[in-house]
Amino acid sequence: MGNVIDISRLYKSYFMDGGLEQKVLKDVNFSVQKGEFVAIMGPSGSGKSTLMNILGCLDRPTEGSYVLDGKEVSGLNDNQLAAVRNSKIGFVFQNFNLLMRRSIADNVSLPLIYAGKNDAYRRERAMVYIRKMNLDGYEDRMPNQLSGGMQQRVAIARALVNEPQIIFADEPTGNLDSKTSDEIMTLFTELNKDGKTIVLVTHEPDVAMYADRLIRISDGQKEYDGSVRAYMERTS
Amino acid sequence: MIWLIIKEAWLSLSSHKLRSFLTTLGIIIGVSAVVMMVAAGQTVSLVINNSFASMGGNLLMIHPSFVVTSGIKSGQRPSITAADVEATKTLRGVEAAAPIVRATAQGVYGANNWAVSIRGTTPDLITVNKWEIERGEPFTEKDVKSASPYVLIGSTTANELFGFADPVGQTIRIKNVPFKVVGLLASKGQDLMGNDQDDVILMPYTTVRQRIQGSRIPDRVHFGYIKVADDEDLEAAANRVKMLLRSRHNIKEGHDDDFEVMNMTAMVNTIKTVGLVLSILLAAIASISLIVGSIGIMNMMLVSVTERTREIGIRKALGAENRWIMLQFLTESIMISFMGSILGLFIGITTSQIVGYIMEYKVPISIWPIILSFSVAVIVGVLSGIIPAYKAMKLDPIEALRYQ
Repeated sequence: MGNVIDISRLYKSYFMDGGLEQKVLKDVNFSVQKGEFVAIMGPSGSGKSTLMNILGCLDRPTEGSYVLDGKEVSGLNDNQLAAVRNSKIGFVFQNFNLLMRRSIADNVSLPLIYAGKNDAYRRERAMVYIRKMNLDGYEDRMPNQLSGGMQQRVAIARALVNEPQIIFADEPTGNLDSKTSDEIMTLFTELNKDGKTIVLVTHEPDVAMYADRLIRISDGQKEYDGSVRAYMERTS
Repeated sequence: MIWLIIKEAWLSLSSHKLRSFLTTLGIIIGVSAVVMMVAAGQTVSLVINNSFASMGGNLLMIHPSFVVTSGIKSGQRPSITAADVEATKTLRGVEAAAPIVRATAQGVYGANNWAVSIRGTTPDLITVNKWEIERGEPFTEKDVKSASPYVLIGSTTANELFGFADPVGQTIRIKNVPFKVVGLLASKGQDLMGNDQDDVILMPYTTVRQRIQGSRIPDRVHFGYIKVADDEDLEAAANRVKMLLRSRHNIKEGHDDDFEVMNMTAMVNTIKTVGLVLSILLAAIASISLIVGSIGIMNMMLVSVTERTREIGIRKALGAENRWIMLQFLTESIMISFMGSILGLFIGITTSQIVGYIMEYKVPISIWPIILSFSVAVIVGVLSGIIPAYKAMKLDPIEALRYQ
């Protein structure tokens, strides 16, 4: 089975104070195969952030099944979800989300602390990915001494350090200028070529173009699922 | 794992140095205050116990009652005689009794001159007041009868008059009368009121009355000490003394005593109780500052959790389980209170030793404040850290990541 993600009949509802049910996701189904580069798009309020949170194991669906890397995760508790996030998922956020008072090496190796790895191993693995992101020599700097593009590369190194099955990137270029955005997206493309599965949430068509496949969410439902190029040609 | 948590906590605390220091200061002040107050209380008890021991236990004191004229205390009627004091020795339970005549006069030895505080008494005082003779011999009952010019000298007086020379066998002059020093008293230190008990000269009361005061009534004394056997009831003994003195003074039924019997042991016990209550009170007040200090920790930790909401979100997203988040914050608060306790202990002990040294009191260092402050460190750290740590643990990672 080559599927990293398998979601079927996924529902997510929020309950208002008055007991009013608000369905944010309604019967969403799709699979992501190992090595795919998928972009998720959708207008704000469409439920794409909720979908991303569920896919990233930060939230649980109200109903339906989510199989991540062959394991059903929809019924796991907080600590079990934390363990899944640690071992199988790498996150890249819009605002980088680095620990500001820790060195680059500390930031990159942070997931390995929660994986229970020792100091020497953490440092060594962190250095491997710091080099891979062309950040040699910056390992003992603080994040605020680095440019936005470099900070995002630190975040990508951190996402990779525990060798996860899948990378979730939530608007990774949202805080970057267009030139740096291109650099970062090129990096993602290279990672994808190396075999990493990447799921990208964005609202910018230019960024989505780097992906191979597009899933468009609208009003809590899957509206489009197919080639990015085909969708872009259809809408333009 | 534990080491890693401690390292993480240290990094977090040291990234806010001033804030961490000020919070630690609250615990430092609290713990050092408790340590100093306990030391003060123990010193007071020690001083009381020592002076009690140096005064001699199970003691009664008889002295003439005060004359009150129109509601004003105008002096004492000289009613007690050495014979009165001597007579109490016939009573059941009385082991020894010594009269005291007080006098102050200038003592001279060679070029040295010192205002000596003289106690005229009998050899019984040695037993009653637990004096020890370092060198030489005490004067005897025979010396009392013959008003011999023999004196026992206290160590302070001896120092002032003789310096480092041995006073025993020397002759000093008081009011131009030569007195032979027959013995040197062992040092007793300060009494309850802080008076130097070693600045004294003991001699037969008859000698004081006749040779120094030149009195025509040699039997009059200022007061008397009565030592009661340790297994006797002091109150009952006091009553027997009272009955005896009333009959000796021919005081009729319905008339007031012309003397007073004071129970010295009861007095000391009262002072002891007051001292104990005082030290408990001091420790209680000091521990309030410890409570304030621990509220300071909780306050800082709550601010820290709010401030680091994003950090908590990041850590959770990257796979930190709840216990990790909880432990991280608990370790920070325990670390603060632990460092505060160690420093507070150090400052408390040092300060009380320095103050003790300046005030010339021996301040005991006991194990209790040490055990106390370390258990307080852990308890305060856990108690003031648990609510913030729980709050951090309960944060929703999605909300926390969104927090600006």
